[in-house]
Amino acid sequence: MIVATLDAQTLVDAVGLGAIYALMAVGIGLVFGVLRLVNFAYGQLVMAGAYTLAFTADWPAVASIAACFAVVITLSLVLERSVFRPLRTQSPAVMLVTTFAVAFLLQSVALVIDVRDGTIGEPAGSIGGLNRAVSVLGVDVRRVTIVAVVVAVIALGLLALLLARTTIGLHMRAAATDFRTARLLGVRADRVIGFAVVLSGVLAAIVAVILTVQSPLVAPDFALKETIVVLVGVVVGGIDRLWTATLGGFAIGFTSGVINGVLPTDKTVFLPSAVFALVILVLLLRPAGLFGRAPAAERV
Amino acid sequence: MRRIEPVVALLGPVVLVAIVGVLAATASRANEIYFLSAIVAVAMVASIYVFVGNSGVLSFGQISFVAVGAFAAGVLTVPGQSKSFVLPDLFPFLRDHTVGNIVSLGIAAVAGAILAALVGLPLMRLSGLAAGIATFAVLEVTHNLLREWTRIGPGATTLSLVPETTGALQATLGTIVVLTIVWLYGRSRPGRLLRATREDSAAAQAVGVGVHRQRLLAFTLSGALCGFAGGLYVHMLGSITTEQVYLELTFLTLAMLVVGGLTSLWGAVVGALTISGLDSLLAKAEAGTFLWDAPSGTRLVVVGAVMALVLVLRPSGITGGRELTLPRRSS
Amino acid sequence: MSEPLLELDRVELRYGPVPAVRDLSFAVGKGEIVGLIGPNGAGKSTTLHGVMAVLPLHAGTIRFDGASLRGFPPERVASAGIALVPEGRRIFGGFTVDENLRLGLAARRQGDAAGAIREVFELFPILEEYRERPAGALSGGQQQQLAIGRALVAAPRLLLLDEPSLGLAPTVVDAVFAALAAIRERGLTVLLVEQRAHRTVAFADRTYVLANGELRATLTPADAENTEKLLSAYLR
Repeated sequence: MIVATLDAQTLVDAVGLGAIYALMAVGIGLVFGVLRLVNFAYGQLVMAGAYTLAFTADWPAVASIAACFAVVITLSLVLERSVFRPLRTQSPAVMLVTTFAVAFLLQSVALVIDVRDGTIGEPAGSIGGLNRAVSVLGVDVRRVTIVAVVVAVIALGLLALLLARTTIGLHMRAAATDFRTARLLGVRADRVIGFAVVLSGVLAAIVAVILTVQSPLVAPDFALKETIVVLVGVVVGGIDRLWTATLGGFAIGFTSGVINGVLPTDKTVFLPSAVFALVILVLLLRPAGLFGRAPAAERV
Repeated sequence: MRRIEPVVALLGPVVLVAIVGVLAATASRANEIYFLSAIVAVAMVASIYVFVGNSGVLSFGQISFVAVGAFAAGVLTVPGQSKSFVLPDLFPFLRDHTVGNIVSLGIAAVAGAILAALVGLPLMRLSGLAAGIATFAVLEVTHNLLREWTRIGPGATTLSLVPETTGALQATLGTIVVLTIVWLYGRSRPGRLLRATREDSAAAQAVGVGVHRQRLLAFTLSGALCGFAGGLYVHMLGSITTEQVYLELTFLTLAMLVVGGLTSLWGAVVGALTISGLDSLLAKAEAGTFLWDAPSGTRLVVVGAVMALVLVLRPSGITGGRELTLPRRSS
Repeated sequence: MSEPLLELDRVELRYGPVPAVRDLSFAVGKGEIVGLIGPNGAGKSTTLHGVMAVLPLHAGTIRFDGASLRGFPPERVASAGIALVPEGRRIFGGFTVDENLRLGLAARRQGDAAGAIREVFELFPILEEYRERPAGALSGGQQQQLAIGRALVAAPRLLLLDEPSLGLAPTVVDAVFAALAAIRERGLTVLLVEQRAHRTVAFADRTYVLANGELRATLTPADAENTEKLLSAYLR
């Protein structure tokens, strides 16, 4: 029989995982909102950040993290210019496959670079201290989990403020709702898109830093599995609004964490089947996502 | 002259495949595998095209049917004595029966069709992003079950000792059969009805086209052909693992289709042969046996780069999504 | 007319391979109100979309204050001083009235945004009352006022209106035309696309009749009562 042990430890770890997935979900949702494009290559941005951290592992931590941010943001902007912009008028099928192609391309480039020293994988243990646990109310919580949750709350809070209170936030929200009319009112398309892409990159860099603490060995498929799961969560939550996408990301992270912690190991082999069967069920009942609405306004 | 044109749309691909088949038959043992892979790739991509190209619905799950077909054909053709050693947990009816080559291909097709019909019944109501994710979920479930459920197959280990019956002749003939069926479907009434829904599903529904029914029909046909292609595949390799019919193959076949041209059979064939050819050349370069010595990993980089480039510069694909036609006479 | 503010010269606009507007030439002078009427599918909205660069210009030139608009993206046309009140209003229902107005500021050249919004509230007092409400809660007529207000906030030199009376009750239409009259008082140049031929011809300084993508006739307010002339212009 299945012995269920839902303890505080599992809950805390699940919340940490949910926080990380929520950050990725926002990164994906922001770009989708203004470009109507699902960026399959998002995980590769996290991977690039992780590799940067690995290759600068002997720098001081702050410099290493700064380099990570610089690389990820630059790569995001390059992708936007060279791939996303020409694709904006294409069918969803072409867009999907192309970002998929870019994801494989980046993964392969990373492989070529990585493998020069003969092994796959680079260690990135710059802030390894965060992996140690701290005892909070009798529960062993890894410091990095606390950092993940705190950072996620702050980042998402700041983002919410930015979207609600600033002019550029207003423009981004308008662009995500009805880009054509927004442009007619004078909203600058390139500015809004660039901003969304940079924000998305910042979030990817944050995720890279947190994930390398938890799993210091960086390989070309770093964050690939996470990206797929987050994408699924985002679509299940409802991709066309930011808060539903975030909720979906958090939910799938939290649920995976809980189920993984509750079920004994030999039963968890069929976990993916259960989760994905659930995903199919949800999509059948609510194709626009659990919290989604009918299709949004037309894009230009 | 007019009546010949549609046949040209089939003959072109068939002739191409036949040429590659001849190359496979006359090539050295080392090179034979590259030509065979290209032909089997054509079979797979054409099978995917028959649904994705005609309906306009993007499915990430077609490789599930290839997987099911490959494992079905594989498990049922592993010689009886070895089977109970190598796969001790199998269900009795899988363990105690062994079938011949052609029968295994037939069973592969049937297995693919059944899975497709089961999955398609609920899923064909979806389109766009929801369809993409839902079919991706099907791929994940299939992969997970094949990998963990040792009662139906080898699980995480390699299934080997499968008879290598897909040589030049079987690959070529099998693929020609697939191409013909796809071409026949495209010319048939259900095929045309489905393409109507691709252009404008609301309008098509308004004139009474049963969108769900037509999609399900194409999806099941695609499942059967994908299963058949999986059978060809496993008999070509002589072995199979779950990772060989999972994400990388999904990406490769879809990209072949889109690079060739999503909306035509000619596109499917051209895309499959082009990317296979490129992939094979680069694999040889990596092994140091062709022109120059490339560092390992360049293969995927170049293929990925070429695909991304073609998709950005010419999104309608190499063929522009059109079928092969005779050159027009100008009057 | 002195140097026209907006000038279309042999303009052709297409949807894919199909021409929707062909060889269209007309001008709008500073301070004028010019009407554009015609049957459904005549190309009236298409013309406005061409000016705003939502549709690419297939042939011909469009000049604003002497300078060509060729190659401008929509947002640049807006910040050059042309504002469009789109067909169906296209307000952002989930945003507040205030946010909708602030969006209109995106095209504004110089400062005093607060002053601009105050002016709009003077013109449409109901908008000030509903300032913090979601725009989707407004009635059709109020939303039309918001759409016009949103366009005015950018201090445009040319105002384009695409069927402002569409879907509105007759009394509300009166209010809309009254607002247009007030706008006329401020010296703004207006190009008005409308289905209500009679009212437009009577109101505008000059009205062009478009049918099948081509300019068919030019009418003046004196022709407003001349039903025969109106009909023949439409049906020719």
